Amino acid sequence: METYEIGLTGLLFSFLLLLIPVFISYHLRLKLISSTVEGVIRMILQLAFVGVFLTFLFELNSAGLNILWVFVMVFVASHTVLKNAELKTKYLFPMLIISMVVTNYSMLLYFNRFIVNLNDLFDARYLIPIAGMVLGNSLRANVVGMENFCTEIRRNENRYLFNLSMGAEKTEALLPYLRRSMRVAMKPTIANMATIGIVFIPGMMTGQILAGASPMVAIEYQIAIMLAIYVTTMVNLLLGILVLIHKGFDEYGMFKKEILRGA
Amino acid sequence: MEVLNIHNLSVQYGGKSILSDFNLLVGRGDKILIKGQSGVGKSTLLRQIMGFGMQSSGTIYLNGVLLDRDSIWDLRKRVAYVSQDTDIGEGQVSELLDEVFSFKANRDVFDRNKLDELLSYLSLPHEILKKEYMKLSGGEKQRITLVMALLSCKDIFLLDEVTAELDSILKKKVVDLFFGNPEWTVLAISHDREWEYLNTGDAGTGGIRVIDFSAEAN
Repeated sequence: METYEIGLTGLLFSFLLLLIPVFISYHLRLKLISSTVEGVIRMILQLAFVGVFLTFLFELNSAGLNILWVFVMVFVASHTVLKNAELKTKYLFPMLIISMVVTNYSMLLYFNRFIVNLNDLFDARYLIPIAGMVLGNSLRANVVGMENFCTEIRRNENRYLFNLSMGAEKTEALLPYLRRSMRVAMKPTIANMATIGIVFIPGMMTGQILAGASPMVAIEYQIAIMLAIYVTTMVNLLLGILVLIHKGFDEYGMFKKEILRGA
Repeated sequence: MEVLNIHNLSVQYGGKSILSDFNLLVGRGDKILIKGQSGVGKSTLLRQIMGFGMQSSGTIYLNGVLLDRDSIWDLRKRVAYVSQDTDIGEGQVSELLDEVFSFKANRDVFDRNKLDELLSYLSLPHEILKKEYMKLSGGEKQRITLVMALLSCKDIFLLDEVTAELDSILKKKVVDLFFGNPEWTVLAISHDREWEYLNTGDAGTGGIRVIDFSAEAN
């Protein structure tokens, strides 16, 4: 089986579709045109860059360079998490990076060694796309979870202070907040897992099937990757909140408002 | 030795002085009633003792130990603080109890008989344990927070308007409970008259001391 290349004409037709959201946005005055244009341009530039870069990376396929690239991915992901959760990088960035490096590299090595059973654990064709899927999903959960944690602490501070005055250690007093944020942030991942295949065919499967793999192979990969995503998301989220617990409170256990952006 | 020694405590918040050069000595078993209009720093004083602080200067000694960032964690385990804010959590009352008594500091102190005793003393039916805390009335919430503080087996109590939402009979019962125990050191903020009566008959209690913040502010 062969994959049809989309080509320039095909891409032009896909850009033609953009007229629809532009039309809607213009008539309803949604004020989304400039951000749509910006988003599209960023997407094109980033993908063009990544296309060239990945071709280079895949051809070279040097373990060191692949590991370094995954580190760059983790770096950008950690930064995006903090930015979107309205947190300042100054206080939390280093620890968040360390925690995400540890979980994601461990998962990637486990995946390549025991699940795919690769000879070359750092093969670019496996390491990089899988890192992308795992990180992309963790990112969303960490944004939701870490933002929720801070919002709840500020809104319901009294519940935390009550626990402290009942003799709780900081972690004990924050456990109800941690539970709630983790539940909120994990829900979409669980819902995704429960409806996969019926409601939506995930991008990875689509890609593999389009690229000529049999649906059964695509499904094997999909199951394995979903489990990897679920586990990594939860561990990344837990560590992210633990970083907040560690860095976000002063020596008296009071929440440091200065870690929030705009504070 | 005194239980509490506050020396030249000053607190500022947002450029405004809330407490300035406040001094207080409290001996073991003392009963202190703190009065005054709102906004004169009564709650701030109790919060400072719990280390829920803002920018402040001066010193606080609790049981002879200087309150600072290292000692505060241990000191919080010795003091029971009940604030006027009864929003302490969600779920059934029994779940809230379980949570609080799963803390390392409280693991061995929970006493079911004492819980039953306190519930009936404060006219709370036993079934209240199965109710959603958020759905209780203000007065019920207030009594549940008091029950929790009392179950934690401490002998220093900081109480911030804990009878505001109770009827007169219950107010009296709560006052009796806290001011009637000669072992306990109690600092209570309240506007309720019930706190001012003196149980002179008791040998252990030498009456109560009243601190009026409105008078001291100027």
